[in-house]
Amino acid sequence: MDNAENKPADLPDWLLKDENYIPLVDKDTFVNKSILSVFKVLSRIKKQDSQGLTGSRIHVPIHVLGTFLLIMLVSLTRSFIFVIIVNVWLLAVLSMIDSERLVRILKLSAGVTLCTAVVMLPAFILGNTYSSIMITTKVFATITAMGLLSHTAKWSALTEALKKFYMPDIFIFILDITIKYIDLLGELSLNMFYALKLRSVGKNRSKYSSMAGIAGSVFLQSKELAEDMYHAMECRGFTGEYHINNKSELKWLDYLYIVINTGFLILFIYFGRM
Amino acid sequence: MIELNDICFSYSDTIALNHINLSIKTGEAIALMGANGCGKSTLLKLINGIISTDKGSYRFHGEDVTHKKLQDSQFSKLLHQRIGFVFQNSDTQLFCSSVYDEVAFGPRQMGYTESEVESRVNDCLALLGIQEFSKRTPYHLSGGEKRKVAIACVMSLNPEVLVLDEPMNGLDPKTQRWLVDFLNKWNKAGKTLITSTHNLDLVQEISKRSILFDETHTIVADGKTEELLMDEELLKRVNLVDQSYCYHKGL
Repeated sequence: MDNAENKPADLPDWLLKDENYIPLVDKDTFVNKSILSVFKVLSRIKKQDSQGLTGSRIHVPIHVLGTFLLIMLVSLTRSFIFVIIVNVWLLAVLSMIDSERLVRILKLSAGVTLCTAVVMLPAFILGNTYSSIMITTKVFATITAMGLLSHTAKWSALTEALKKFYMPDIFIFILDITIKYIDLLGELSLNMFYALKLRSVGKNRSKYSSMAGIAGSVFLQSKELAEDMYHAMECRGFTGEYHINNKSELKWLDYLYIVINTGFLILFIYFGRM
Repeated sequence: MIELNDICFSYSDTIALNHINLSIKTGEAIALMGANGCGKSTLLKLINGIISTDKGSYRFHGEDVTHKKLQDSQFSKLLHQRIGFVFQNSDTQLFCSSVYDEVAFGPRQMGYTESEVESRVNDCLALLGIQEFSKRTPYHLSGGEKRKVAIACVMSLNPEVLVLDEPMNGLDPKTQRWLVDFLNKWNKAGKTLITSTHNLDLVQEISKRSILFDETHTIVADGKTEELLMDEELLKRVNLVDQSYCYHKGL
């Protein structure tokens, strides 16, 4: 299409002609993978936010306390049977959640357990079989318990729970802001990756410098956001104190959870005496 | 040129586009209007090949644009050259160390010699009136200047279609007026223009045809911009205006 006849006075000629352009083949795997990974993180955060119905059915502070207790007991015990019982219990709980989250938790637990197994391999070969298997199974239990907590409870509920345990406000504040920034800057970097993909219309010989440019822009934006937020806090009279108004009551499931955890404490003492 | 037939798209469980049918001819200037979250930006992303349809078909110049085809690097690069996209937030579009490099980013990849690239970049900078910024870092420019650089980046690719997501957002009235004139000039040169906007005061000046979305993510009206803007009931129904707006506009 040639639009020279209707040409507005100051438009250059090349802009009025169609490009006769055939792109060269180029690999975009790095950009595509980056888009996919940022997208996954963002959708996970968004899903967390709309978790009302599918989220943790156990009162979150009790869940946090229970998980902490379980991890402590697993770390302190010398009984292999106790660790196995805890693992069986965790797997039973895992089987009750939806498949998507189940796979995600298991992937993480299996990955970390495998890494531990590799590290423990020399000890295992040299005859220290009991300790190496014990440590590996303990790692599996710990990661699975943490995975269950983080995948079934909303992050906002987790920070609220921390406040109930008298965690310092500054700690909760940093945690809250970190989650918020992962979302905001993630969205920004996702759009930047999209822009890079859209503007990479041929052979991009400087992919890594473009990526560095994106990282630099995200950093500058985060600095600007942090300054704006600091000023907004000052204007709104934020003194760094968190207040919780949520006074939910315990349900039968929470009491059951407390009973099960008390059972684990009894088992820990029982196996510890054997 | 662009044909969308029965397009549906969802983000996980949230519907963003609901049975969209739309046909755009070469050289048309179209505005997409609708309340926040009605699916305008998603439709623009789909037209640009950032996302692909869940259901329905998208054809560009008679050729199907599918998820499989977009995996083909050559096909997607050609589509991205032919359809230029100006993002709502110009900061997301700029990642080079100088304005000159930003505008030269596309032409350099298209295989032009450095002197051809230089001439093309200078043309774009002159057309947008930002020659004096050529050596500056894009990040330190004002909102309006960044928007001009973002448009120059896309313009240097010489696309057939220019897609703009809320281009008037955050611009002062003078820059808005400049942008309206520029887009009209671009459209008069035979280029297709697709703009999503909330700016009901300027929409009539940048498009003859408008598409109106409602909150069910469906197109409820497709017609002459001036006629749609006069339909008070329709604008209220799609939650784009309220009684106070109609009163002030004398509708």
